[in-house]
Amino acid sequence: MSAPLTIKEKLRRNPNWFTEGLYAYASVLPALLVIILFTIYPIFYAVRISFYQNILTKPNSHPFVGLKNFHDVITSYYFKNSLINTGIYTIASVTGVIIFGLIVALLLNTKIRSVNALKIIILLPWAIPAVVAGLMWKWILNSDFGILNGILYSLGAIESYIPFLANPILAKLSLIMAHIWKEGPLAAIFILAGLQLIPNEFYEAAKIDGGGDLLVFRFITLPLLRPILLVVLVYETMTAILTFDLVYVMTGGGPGDSTALISWFAYAEIYKFLNLGTGIALSIIIALITLILIILYMRALKTEDAIS
Amino acid sequence: MNRKLHVLTIMFIVALVVSGCGTKATPPATTKPPEVATEVPVATEVPVTEPVTMDFVVWSYGLDTVNDNIKNFQALNPDITITLKDYSWLDYHDTMVGVFAANNPPYLLYGSDHWLNEWASAGWLAPLDKYCPNVAEYSNEVAPYALQGMTYNGEVYGVSYYADTMDFMYNDALLQQGGFTTAPATLDDLYTQALALKAQGVNQYPIIMAWSQKEGAFPEAWTSLVFAQQEGGNALFDADLNPVFNTADSAAFKVMEWLRKVYTEGLLDPASLSMAEIDQVKSMQAGAHTFTIAPQYNMAELNKPASGEFAGKFKIALMPGPSHATVGYVRFYAMTQKVVDAGPDYIAAACKFMDYFGGKTNGDYTVVKRWAVENGLGFAQLPLFDDPTVIAAFGKWGDVPMIKQNATLARAKEGMTPWYGIWDVYARAEIQKGILGQQSSLDTLNNMATKWVELKAAQ
Amino acid sequence: MKIKPRALTRSIFLNLLVLILIVYIAGPFIWVISASFQGENELLKKPPSIIPKNPTTDNYRYVFTGQVPTSYEVTGQLRSRISQEARLIAPALKNSFIIAISVLLINLLFATPAAYAFARLRWKFRNGFYNFILGSRLMPAMAIAIPYYVIIQSLKLMNTHLSLILVHSALTIPFSIWFLTLYITNIPRDMEEAGLVDGCNYFQLLKNIVVPMILPGLVAASAFAFMTSYNEFLFARFLTTSIASQTGPVIISSISGNPDVSYSLISVCLTLGMIPPVILAITMRKWLTEGLSSTITFR
Repeated sequence: MSAPLTIKEKLRRNPNWFTEGLYAYASVLPALLVIILFTIYPIFYAVRISFYQNILTKPNSHPFVGLKNFHDVITSYYFKNSLINTGIYTIASVTGVIIFGLIVALLLNTKIRSVNALKIIILLPWAIPAVVAGLMWKWILNSDFGILNGILYSLGAIESYIPFLANPILAKLSLIMAHIWKEGPLAAIFILAGLQLIPNEFYEAAKIDGGGDLLVFRFITLPLLRPILLVVLVYETMTAILTFDLVYVMTGGGPGDSTALISWFAYAEIYKFLNLGTGIALSIIIALITLILIILYMRALKTEDAIS
Repeated sequence: MNRKLHVLTIMFIVALVVSGCGTKATPPATTKPPEVATEVPVATEVPVTEPVTMDFVVWSYGLDTVNDNIKNFQALNPDITITLKDYSWLDYHDTMVGVFAANNPPYLLYGSDHWLNEWASAGWLAPLDKYCPNVAEYSNEVAPYALQGMTYNGEVYGVSYYADTMDFMYNDALLQQGGFTTAPATLDDLYTQALALKAQGVNQYPIIMAWSQKEGAFPEAWTSLVFAQQEGGNALFDADLNPVFNTADSAAFKVMEWLRKVYTEGLLDPASLSMAEIDQVKSMQAGAHTFTIAPQYNMAELNKPASGEFAGKFKIALMPGPSHATVGYVRFYAMTQKVVDAGPDYIAAACKFMDYFGGKTNGDYTVVKRWAVENGLGFAQLPLFDDPTVIAAFGKWGDVPMIKQNATLARAKEGMTPWYGIWDVYARAEIQKGILGQQSSLDTLNNMATKWVELKAAQ
Repeated sequence: MKIKPRALTRSIFLNLLVLILIVYIAGPFIWVISASFQGENELLKKPPSIIPKNPTTDNYRYVFTGQVPTSYEVTGQLRSRISQEARLIAPALKNSFIIAISVLLINLLFATPAAYAFARLRWKFRNGFYNFILGSRLMPAMAIAIPYYVIIQSLKLMNTHLSLILVHSALTIPFSIWFLTLYITNIPRDMEEAGLVDGCNYFQLLKNIVVPMILPGLVAASAFAFMTSYNEFLFARFLTTSIASQTGPVIISSISGNPDVSYSLISVCLTLGMIPPVILAITMRKWLTEGLSSTITFR
């Protein structure tokens, strides 16, 4: 970096430098103010709390404990298992979402007429509140009155109703299925955008060369979609790690701890174990994990750009 | 990149420091604990001088009746206005914790013995016998397990509107269909009967429980099974509150082993682990299961004439086990420290509220009796056992001598301490894991014991 | 023209796939709407019927007028008392609407000039502030729920629309800024340079030239802000204490856990709760998909 410019130099390069700067700050200030007051400030406030002991039923003693809250969280009985569960959930959901997105995007990109109906409804799951989505699925999967059980039973596929949300493995699968339902459409739209960027010449060349559908997909479409897929990957990973609404409404972490994802425990620490300090410490840890993943993505993207 | 990081870090640290100044050093501060005594409040015979409005938070049950009761109360006390707010029972504890922690409590609210210790030790609730001497006398007429559930540190914090026992209930019609005439008296009997019922195709899952992790009655039902396996007290904790249940010869171990057995053999509906009370009752009504454990008042619903084809066929039996002991619990009206801080007018009004809602009007426990007669809710007030209206009403859906016998066998949950609520939530997940077979019964109980000891030591 | 058998099987296979997807995506919606027109006794049959055999508007009538549905009085597979909580859905949705519209307006007002500043102007700390604003979204909401609660308490804004408007704005502005910045960056500068030459100042530039050009982007950003605020659950749950400011998702989640509310009534609330986002998603889908696509493809 060269030596900082003098004001004269700056004015010479860009005569509007001063007014531009003034205007810029004026435009940004209102937004910045709202964000600082109502997101940044509470974040720092929360971080500060995490260094003190803060038990909700002991409101008069808040001794400074340094990193003890963080230590307690990391060595707690749930941390390792919950991280593993969250990891499995994240991998399964993200894979499911991407596969769903790919299939839907590829279909939307074709000229089949039935796809028009799909185009109209595709964004619906993404548009509704996560709570509503979770409740709809919870009821559909209900072990006594659920419509899914009803349909499977009427078709003769099962002999008796399946308690989807009371079985540790099925509960996880149900959560993943609801998650894919909710997040898939967004991935589909993103991937579709990427597909539409691929020039038709590539496909025509492939047709001339006699390539079948699968080969075209593998050697042309997929590589060209790489950057988009990477973005979707990162976004969906973040969403999966931070999943709370679905768990809260569908399973409450059960049965046992099988659907107690790590963000669920942030809630439980505060509202069930009544420990604000550790709850916030856990949230900070989750935020750091997410941040690290994003940084890794940035690196991967930079290398992608470098390669292409 | 390095310089940016440098700048960001400095900004971060500066902001951290700045955020600490200008705010209280102890976030979020709540009110003082009860030890700090203010002046002794005026006796409640002094009439309320200024109009007083207080909010009253309940869980969502029977709101029509609650509103009607409030209307009647306000008619008798025109200076007092009560505004009602309700939250779902399944979220009640968590919601109230949030509200208390942010120093925004209501004046009056429902309480449960699960959390009395937790909330009273935090200074969130105000002891009734200290501020409302007019209701102190009612404590003499209350069943021991109920009084225990409303007392913390020797002080009484509530007047009860509902107290009940966990009852073992069964569908008599289905039982007879299976060829049995009497209800099971022990867990082994229950196992044998359930096995037979399943083999004969009467039920796919003869036993159902409402053991979702959100269901507050889960620990009570489990504990009642434990109590029934042991004569005498201290089934879970000894006199010094040390856990005694994590040994291979404890009542709790027997119960866990039995639960595991009926789960693996398909006698206990797997859906129990995600079921709450209302679905449990509906399932029983529909005849999908024969045996269950539920709060007694559900019998009124089950045996209501229009409830379904088995109306009138549901019966109560003593909890299966050598001692037939069971859990009794209490829910009550409480007032928060906010009432005390608001001054004598509010205290007087709150005391009148307590008197009307949990006490006697014209010599009769009007509100409590109404719940008992109209909804079949159990009660803590012993004189009501002799009230002919109540007996007649209960007789419609249950066997009154059996109800009385259960009440004498009922004990309060053990381990009512400020950390019970926290431990309870942990225990629910552990018990579920034990039933699912994800860990052995002994491991489950050991985990629960370790957690208890840890929480106790942290006090 | 001979139809190649391979093309036929391909066509059948793809159409089947589309059908399965349509069922998967739209199925839950259709079921919930259908259930809202069924009485609870019909709903509790095993198996339940997708098309109501005895459709009834009783449930909706109860929610809007308080008249108890006839099925509740006839037979009880329910408890004998019906909760009034289901009737709270209408005022709750009204709250949701008021808050979401306000958030939409605030986003437009604050994010547009800011995005323009980031996209077009050169100024010190531009990148720093940009990253700062985007980074504000990293922290899980759980951690800041209680600090936010305390702040709102001390501002005496508890249980008001304003508190949620402020926090939702803080949550949505970063995305709006990011999105609009990208959008503006990809629009050629010619018109603005012409305007500058003509002697416009920046505000005039923004108002007269830039805004009309980025109208589709603004529509998309507004729709996102509206939907995010409308769907927000966590803060709405912890920062509201009464129906004066409780929003749709809060009431819906509370109702669904309430034993005195039947599944029919829950369906009514779910249906009513999803109407605005569904309408938005269907009518605005072109803008939304274009908007979402452009953030991905122009980086």
